[in-house]
Amino acid sequence: MKILNSLKSGFDRAFRSWKGVLVVWLMLLILVSFMTVPLRGGLKSAFDNSMITEKLAEGFNLEAYMDLGSALKTLISSTTSGFLFVFLAGFVANAFLTAGLFSSLTGDCIRFSTGEFFRNGAKNFWSFFIISVIITLIMLFLSIIIIAIPFLIISSSETISEKGVFMTGVIVTMFYLILLPLLLIAADYSRAKKTSDASFTWSRSLGFGFSQTFKKFWPSYLMMLLLVFCQGILGLLIISILPGWEPVNGGGVFLLLIVSQLLLYARLMLKTWRYGSFTAMMEETDMPDTNNP
Amino acid sequence: MKRNSIFLIVISLIFNTIQSQIINNEPLSERITGYKLNVKLNTVKKTVSGTMDAFWVNNSSDTVPDIQLHLYMNAFKTNRTTYYRESGGSPGNKESDPGWINILSLRDPEGNDLMSGMKFISPDDGNPDDRTVLKVSLPVPAKPGDTVFIKSDFETKLPSRIRRTGCSGDFYFVAQWFPKFGVYEPEGMRYSTNGSWNCHQFHANSEFYANHSVYDVTITLPSGYVTGTGGLLISEKKDGQEETLVYRAEDIVDFAWTAWPNYVVINDKWNNVSITLLIPKERVRQVERQLTAVKNALEYLDKNVGPYPWPYLTFVDPPAIGEGAGGMEYTTIFTSASYYFMPSFFHMPEMVTIHEFGHAYFMGILASNEFEEPWLDEGVNSFMEERIVDHFYGTNSGLLNHPFLKIPDITYSRLAYTLSRNRQVTSNASYSWNYPHDTYGMMSYLKTATWLYTLMGIIGEETMNNVFREYYRKWAFRHPSGKDFVNVVNEVVKKEYGDRFGKDMNWFFDQTLYGTGICDYKVAGIRNRKHFKFEGKEDISDRAKTGESGSDSLFTSLAEIERVGEVMLPVDVLIHFTNGEEVLEHWDGKERYKDYEYTGKREIQWVKIDPEFKIRMDVNYINNSMTTKPYRAPVNRLINKFLSFVQFCFSIVLL
Repeated sequence: MKILNSLKSGFDRAFRSWKGVLVVWLMLLILVSFMTVPLRGGLKSAFDNSMITEKLAEGFNLEAYMDLGSALKTLISSTTSGFLFVFLAGFVANAFLTAGLFSSLTGDCIRFSTGEFFRNGAKNFWSFFIISVIITLIMLFLSIIIIAIPFLIISSSETISEKGVFMTGVIVTMFYLILLPLLLIAADYSRAKKTSDASFTWSRSLGFGFSQTFKKFWPSYLMMLLLVFCQGILGLLIISILPGWEPVNGGGVFLLLIVSQLLLYARLMLKTWRYGSFTAMMEETDMPDTNNP
Repeated sequence: MKRNSIFLIVISLIFNTIQSQIINNEPLSERITGYKLNVKLNTVKKTVSGTMDAFWVNNSSDTVPDIQLHLYMNAFKTNRTTYYRESGGSPGNKESDPGWINILSLRDPEGNDLMSGMKFISPDDGNPDDRTVLKVSLPVPAKPGDTVFIKSDFETKLPSRIRRTGCSGDFYFVAQWFPKFGVYEPEGMRYSTNGSWNCHQFHANSEFYANHSVYDVTITLPSGYVTGTGGLLISEKKDGQEETLVYRAEDIVDFAWTAWPNYVVINDKWNNVSITLLIPKERVRQVERQLTAVKNALEYLDKNVGPYPWPYLTFVDPPAIGEGAGGMEYTTIFTSASYYFMPSFFHMPEMVTIHEFGHAYFMGILASNEFEEPWLDEGVNSFMEERIVDHFYGTNSGLLNHPFLKIPDITYSRLAYTLSRNRQVTSNASYSWNYPHDTYGMMSYLKTATWLYTLMGIIGEETMNNVFREYYRKWAFRHPSGKDFVNVVNEVVKKEYGDRFGKDMNWFFDQTLYGTGICDYKVAGIRNRKHFKFEGKEDISDRAKTGESGSDSLFTSLAEIERVGEVMLPVDVLIHFTNGEEVLEHWDGKERYKDYEYTGKREIQWVKIDPEFKIRMDVNYINNSMTTKPYRAPVNRLINKFLSFVQFCFSIVLL
């Protein structure tokens, strides 16, 4: 029941914060466009008035792009550096906007206020930023410890079979994927706590996040699995629609853009549902016990 | 004297046995050389040792004072051999690492010890530390028609770092393992101006050259090993802990074999050819695709080049511990490559299998000199591999054949050539170890395949098939050179097209095979000039002279074509007008530019050079066309997808 209540409450809260999600979506669109708009211009200029683009009508055509030669190298190089910049900017902006989003997901918040959203984003920015950095670093570190090192050791062994190497790779990856939700839960509890109680520093919030994760392990983990499952369903929908959709005219391409952005918005809504659900679950525990004054 | 007589009788028996027919009804080749090997595999010392009786027939009109033998395995002896100097690295520091071959004795039929006449030579680079070519002075020079017999005891240590040959754990791939005759080339054969041995050192970037021979090979090894060879199993005998296998191979250029206890043996058949696949047990899910690939290659080459003449074929998918042995060819045995898990859209196993099998033709049957003209086997074979992959796995199939991302085989080879920074550093006609700036692979495999596709674009697919059928008919079981291939092209094209392409096709080969130029045609511009109605002071008498109507609906349209590269090839130019009409022009492509001018009530909308992409050598397809109405939708689509992809990635990665 606790899980269902939290999920329901999280859903209501996420729905209530649709404007906040819109801001996050807009941030992603603008940020990534910093990279894609010059790329679009560069590609159009490189192809110029050539009809080789006809070869691209049926889908990605390696030959057509590779014939761009040095122009392609320049485009890839600028896009790669742009990607790094955009990712870092996105990381920072995400910490800010997530802080705002979490504030609109608390039980105290009755209706979404843009002013409050940005105010709280600014107030909790540093804590959210540090929590995000630490959790991301832990994820990377664990991926090295759990996946890369065992896989490298096993694959360099002459005695273990190919099947053994492959299965080891699969098992360690699965193990990592099983651990990953725990880190997400800890991150969500930490941020929810920081939002609800301003007196908590980032380190105390993080500590609270991890302790809460293990204190309420099963409900938290099961709820996270349910949320991940829903996101997975959406992910499958996205994969089945977008990569194979090859519109050949301007109208179709525009429709593709609209649909992909709607799907992205849905994905962000699901993520916000996750934030809201864990905020709700945390608040449920934090509520003063009226039977024990 | 008595000993010598017995030895002569034995030699005579061996010679007769070797020259007899067991596999095919008739000899396929001249059989200038033959080998009878009786060896034992020592799995502790990692050696193959035993005896070799061999002969070489002097079928030239020269008196030859010596013989030359390849001792390839010595390439892995030290880090100072030519092989390691060229490739870098070393055979390893441990005593068990290096590979070598020791001649323990060498005699002629009279019992004369030939060891004193042995001398290591380095004809290619003079490297005194390279011992891969052995010159043996004969006590009596071989006169024309003489047969030189040699008997040798030898010991071969297999290297632990497998480079085509060697061992790892209990896996053995034994190739280039016995003393092997070079090829004596009399005057007039290939490029030989005076009779001499063609016996090159073992290089990092080169393969082999040998006469078609008969092999009788007896291998003794511990029981429990599964073996595969380039021969046909004649008999098998178990003796306690050992097993002795007798193999026979006819008219092949090399004999290699493998032994590993964990192979699974899969048998299949294509027409009259028995196919044996040796594959690690855990890769059984790759069996079907491997067998299909080899049968596809057999069918295609049989139809478009010539019959596969042996009744058997063995191929090996080496385990991971022996992956260094993968992707090699020894005519009737070759090695492929795959892995336990390999998605069906990843066609690497098929491509390797088709390619390595193809060498049964291009190098095995048509035994060109891989040292000196690597393009003639690797390039021609890559061309065939690409055609086979396209034919059986769908147009534009290749390494990656996923609906969302394709890397066609044919595209890969063109791009590897056209995008190479060193594409003009040398011509195809270089010795394999002389390709500068690491261009061996790009030049010998990929540039060749690209210009062969271009040739096919010019002369047509059926004529190209006829070229290969004729090449096979003329040169099977002989040693063709590049010029022989060119001559066959010239003959076939002349026969089918007369003088349409000139008196011969040398103009093509001079530019592509022997030249270093690039091919690049370009649409420089489209101009549509309107004929305006006359404005200003009209002089009626002048108008009458010129006869111009001055109509607003008349246009003079110009398509400007340029040859940017040095290579001159005939190209088609397709011009499309606004009213839907199209004109196909044929340009010999020789001038630096060509303008096509049209006057009428229509404008040029677009121009395409080589609209069917026949000239695969063209290094830039983008400038091959121009339109007045650019089609941007695919680029916008790609960018939109990229935008969404990055956004989704960010939404996942950012907590």
